[in-house]
Amino acid sequence: MANATYAQTITFGDNNVNCGNTIWSYKTIYNSDDDAKIMHWLSPLLPDNRHHSVRTNRFEGVGDWLLETSEFQEWRSGEGGADQAVLFCSGDPGVGKTYLRSVAGFF
Amino acid sequence: MGGNTSSLVIDRLCDQSRQGGLAVAWLYCDYNVGQEQTIVNMMGAILKRLVDRKIPEDIRKAFEEGRRPTLADLMRMLRIAIASLPQVYICIDALDECLPNDLPELLGSLKDIVRESPRTRIFLTGRPHVREAIQRYFIKAVTIPISPKEEDIRNYVVMRLDKDDTPKAMNNHLRGEILRIILEKMADMYVGVSPLYLGFILTDGCVDSSLSH
Repeated sequence: MANATYAQTITFGDNNVNCGNTIWSYKTIYNSDDDAKIMHWLSPLLPDNRHHSVRTNRFEGVGDWLLETSEFQEWRSGEGGADQAVLFCSGDPGVGKTYLRSVAGFF
Repeated sequence: MGGNTSSLVIDRLCDQSRQGGLAVAWLYCDYNVGQEQTIVNMMGAILKRLVDRKIPEDIRKAFEEGRRPTLADLMRMLRIAIASLPQVYICIDALDECLPNDLPELLGSLKDIVRESPRTRIFLTGRPHVREAIQRYFIKAVTIPISPKEEDIRNYVVMRLDKDDTPKAMNNHLRGEILRIILEKMADMYVGVSPLYLGFILTDGCVDSSLSH
């Protein structure tokens, strides 16, 4: 099972010249079978896949206000040192979407 | 499935990482992952994101030794990887979906990372009750409550109107009216209602009855 999921995301032996960009791309392409094996050895979890599916189902524009708050901007700047390392967004998952689905009922 | 807020933040940070200097690692906690969601695998997943551009020699060597990495191994590798990057962001979604026994260890590991590299930024999401656990490790953690905002509804309605199948029937006046009426209705329905109860209200058929009035 773990192997099957693993194969979905990793392209073996593809010497893709763009691999330097993988830090922000969602399909990671490794230089060799070995690299892919090392990545799986570090963790079988696949955060990239999950991120891809969450962003595909996202309502565009919803929640953007957070990115404009002073709390977010200050946190992102990294100026605050260890004391201000953590930003926590608290909420019940799915509430925003349930809410918007009710808006969708108007259409 | 949640994750909306985290995915937005991750995308925003990744956009900036294209300009160089930033590295972004993330993890979505999920009950459904089950036994694979161990503290070792979680820290390993964060490390993966930070080294996938170029796997450092120390990780290659440890892999060749042929044994499973321990939490101590991964923390050592993470420290080295983070120290070699100018600015690292770690985003962890749905902390309440990590096993209760793992949460203190996860937060403790993040604390060790920040102690070692104070510029590291950590973004966390979760149900309100995990705040207490977070503050045990990060006293000055800033909390932002996430609840639906009028602006979110406005953006969503505009998006839906833009996708209208019959654009010829639409004009600015009609658009404005649709937006105004929807926002008014939503405000009537939810004044004074905490987002916590919104889910229950919506599943109770309240929206339908309110619309038919």
